[in-house]
Amino acid sequence: MSNINGKVYAMNAITPMKPWKTWILRAFFEILSEVKPLQADLINLSFIEFARWVVLPREHFPFLGHPQKKEELRYDYLLFFSNFNGTWNQYIDAFSAVLSNGLNLIWRWSEKFPGSVPVTLFKEYIARVQFDTDYYYTAYPQAAANDVKSAHIVQAAFDNLAQQSPNLNPQQFAAAYLQFVIQVQSHLGETSEAPVVF
Amino acid sequence: MANLNGAVYGLTILSPIIDDKTAVPSHDLQIREYLASLPTGEDSPFAIAPGTHLARLVVMDDVIYVGMPACEEHLKSKYLVFESNLDGSLESYLVGLAQSVPQHLDAIWSHCVGYPGSTPIPAFIQYMKACQLETTFFFAAVNDKSVTQTLRALQTQRAVADFIADHQGMKPEQLQIEFARFVELLKSEPAPRPGATTIARTMTTGGHNE
Repeated sequence: MSNINGKVYAMNAITPMKPWKTWILRAFFEILSEVKPLQADLINLSFIEFARWVVLPREHFPFLGHPQKKEELRYDYLLFFSNFNGTWNQYIDAFSAVLSNGLNLIWRWSEKFPGSVPVTLFKEYIARVQFDTDYYYTAYPQAAANDVKSAHIVQAAFDNLAQQSPNLNPQQFAAAYLQFVIQVQSHLGETSEAPVVF
Repeated sequence: MANLNGAVYGLTILSPIIDDKTAVPSHDLQIREYLASLPTGEDSPFAIAPGTHLARLVVMDDVIYVGMPACEEHLKSKYLVFESNLDGSLESYLVGLAQSVPQHLDAIWSHCVGYPGSTPIPAFIQYMKACQLETTFFFAAVNDKSVTQTLRALQTQRAVADFIADHQGMKPEQLQIEFARFVELLKSEPAPRPGATTIARTMTTGGHNE
């Protein structure tokens, strides 16, 4: 079992929801998908590489016939999978501090959700509904979400300068190079092994 | 479609695991044992097959009871959860997996109900789609770059940092020549392998480790 690979933590959670409530949640996610500014906090937190929520209706668990027995459930379920940088505590603390309203809108439809503030009860709830990852792979284990974003900024600026360079005289190139350095300087950094956390 | 965010596809699969009381060890445990032995770096099956940013495999034993006044209920099957964030279309991704790492797919999914094997490929794809769940909301921090593009960009970022540090104060004529060489050098280098780690450079001055 490993929830961690390099700088990424894999989190899985499942929570029960009364079926009539799942439609409200679906509507909220629909709005969240369409109105991009509502995702600003999620984007600005900048330590989530990928995350997804899956509303799983009780009669839609995959059924492949004999010898599998068909599920008979009273609840629909909300599945949550996240790939984030940092420790579990940092993640939940940041979620609670920055995204409390959004999280409440997502999980308030789940049974026994205590709200994302105060954080103690929220953490107890997440710890209860979380299940561990058996195998976790990332193509770039030494890079955090910010490293990836920065790397693409550097790549774009570099490609631009590389394209311009043959058409510039040395003085023009020096000026363009200076602009390039100014543009990328805050996006340069070391991607290496993850720090050891406790 | 909520499975897509930009150019990244969010695949979620739930495969019911065979419940055979006579199997020793049980099928879910056999999956777990196999997954525990599977490499996670550049020898990972997901590094060998093309197009995976991040992926996980999880044995989900049951749903979770959150306490009164909620009702306690249980699943009749355990499920293998496969969650992947991938480039391109689902079909081409599944074909890539089936062609590149069929032995791993078969070792894992042969413990699941109705798994037809990684060949014939159309049956494999049909099985995976039968187990697929539609994602309700999919978030991707970077949604317009492929795995190869990201690995290239990380390589460029590292190389550019070195280049800038090594060429401070150089005269414009020489700097332009050196930069042209650097561009050609970077172009000629192969992209880093997915899942690979790079060797940490020794920091001699400054930085957080002093």
